[in-house]
Amino acid sequence: MVEGVIALIAVISGIVILLILIGIGMYNSIVSLRNKVDNSWHQIDVQLRKRYDLIPNLMETVKGYAKHERETLQNVINARKMGIDAKTVKEQAKAENMITDTLKSLFALSENYPNLKADQHFLRLMEQLNGIESNIAYARQFYNDMVMKFNTRIQTFPGNIFARMFNFLSRDYFEIEEVSAREPVKVKF
Amino acid sequence: MYEQIASNRAKTVFIIIGFIIFITLVGFAIGYYLDWRGISNNYSIILMIFALILAVIMSFSSYYYSDRIVLSLTGARPISREENPRVYYMVDGLSIAAGLPVPKIYVIGDEGMNAFATGRNPQKGVIVFTQGLLDNLNDEELKGVISHELSHIKNYDILLGTIVVVMVGMITIISNIIFRSLIFGGGSRRRSSKGSGGGILSLILIIVGILLILLSPIIATLIRLAISRNREFLADSTGALISRYPAGLANALKKISMHSEVKTASSATAHLFIANPIGEKSKVMFKSLFNTHPPTEERIRRLENMSLGVGIK
Repeated sequence: MVEGVIALIAVISGIVILLILIGIGMYNSIVSLRNKVDNSWHQIDVQLRKRYDLIPNLMETVKGYAKHERETLQNVINARKMGIDAKTVKEQAKAENMITDTLKSLFALSENYPNLKADQHFLRLMEQLNGIESNIAYARQFYNDMVMKFNTRIQTFPGNIFARMFNFLSRDYFEIEEVSAREPVKVKF
Repeated sequence: MYEQIASNRAKTVFIIIGFIIFITLVGFAIGYYLDWRGISNNYSIILMIFALILAVIMSFSSYYYSDRIVLSLTGARPISREENPRVYYMVDGLSIAAGLPVPKIYVIGDEGMNAFATGRNPQKGVIVFTQGLLDNLNDEELKGVISHELSHIKNYDILLGTIVVVMVGMITIISNIIFRSLIFGGGSRRRSSKGSGGGILSLILIIVGILLILLSPIIATLIRLAISRNREFLADSTGALISRYPAGLANALKKISMHSEVKTASSATAHLFIANPIGEKSKVMFKSLFNTHPPTEERIRRLENMSLGVGIK
């Protein structure tokens, strides 16, 4: 009789310990996924910052040839400022889409200024921006992959229980608004 | 994905332990043989310990240097960003998409179209292209190949594949040396002492026999472990997830299969390449024995099914 009780206690405590271990494993894997999301966001950030650094340079070059295109230039500057000030992923995505769009109209405008188009500095800047643009697309792809993994984990059973217990929140995708923005800025020489 | 990494690490440890045991046993066998002939006393133990230490040192150095050995075996040289900005541009972008540090880029000056990756971890990753591949593939196809190689890096296939090259190579060299010296030693022994000639000869045969018995399954297992055909399929599909364009790799494989021979590749390094780099003649023998690579048609078919399937977000 006593032996039976001891065996029962042993089995129950064994199960409890097992559940605790599984719980620790789940929790740790969610945290490590969340860190991967943060890290992949950092990868996007690196590319965005490179673009912010190039834009003032580009502005100076363009001003030298096309003083009168004040509005287009100002749009780019505003979009850049929005991007730098952005706090959330959604705001950031919106600002970056704006930068891409305004840069596109700036490049379109350069068609009217043959001297600008021939400027070596301008050409090099455009090439660099083009490269950054496609790297942003790749970084966004990786980030969204990670967000999808993380969100799936914390929205499906049993991850959702942990998410509620420890307050893990779903992350936002870095989305592009329009189809045209899915393609990198094409520059024709 | 993570299971794949764990299994590759486990296999690497298994291979290194197997290698250490093998070398230690060889040391013991040689010592035992010398003791038996009365040339020495207790050499079996001394040589065994010596072999054990040697094997551990060799394992460590092969872990740290095997990528360099493989690069020099295949005659690959690093290229600079200025030399080929196009390939750097693509590797930069796709590494970001794969979430990997940017690997180093090497080139083999061969007109055959092929590529492989090496290194012991993603931080030390190297992708090697043949000049023929860079010259003949268009952007989408080259991106497909780069993505395939990046997935080998991501899965740690590179660690296992590269270590296998060196370990198998060392075992082959050591067994060759022993084989030769045993035959040579046995010959001179027979001349000097007539009495025990028959006994020694039979012992030599026994030792050689044991060596070969030990050796052949180990080598076969090592190679088969390293080059499981699923590894290529897996890298194809993971690669397609990175480039988001399976047709790029499928078209690349079509082109590559027409001319994938690389002169500097050997049976020791063949399993690293994206397509079999060994010429037609040895291919027949190779196919039946080891099957380093799955049939290209099958790989292309699977990739084309992927592109037809549901779009990947």
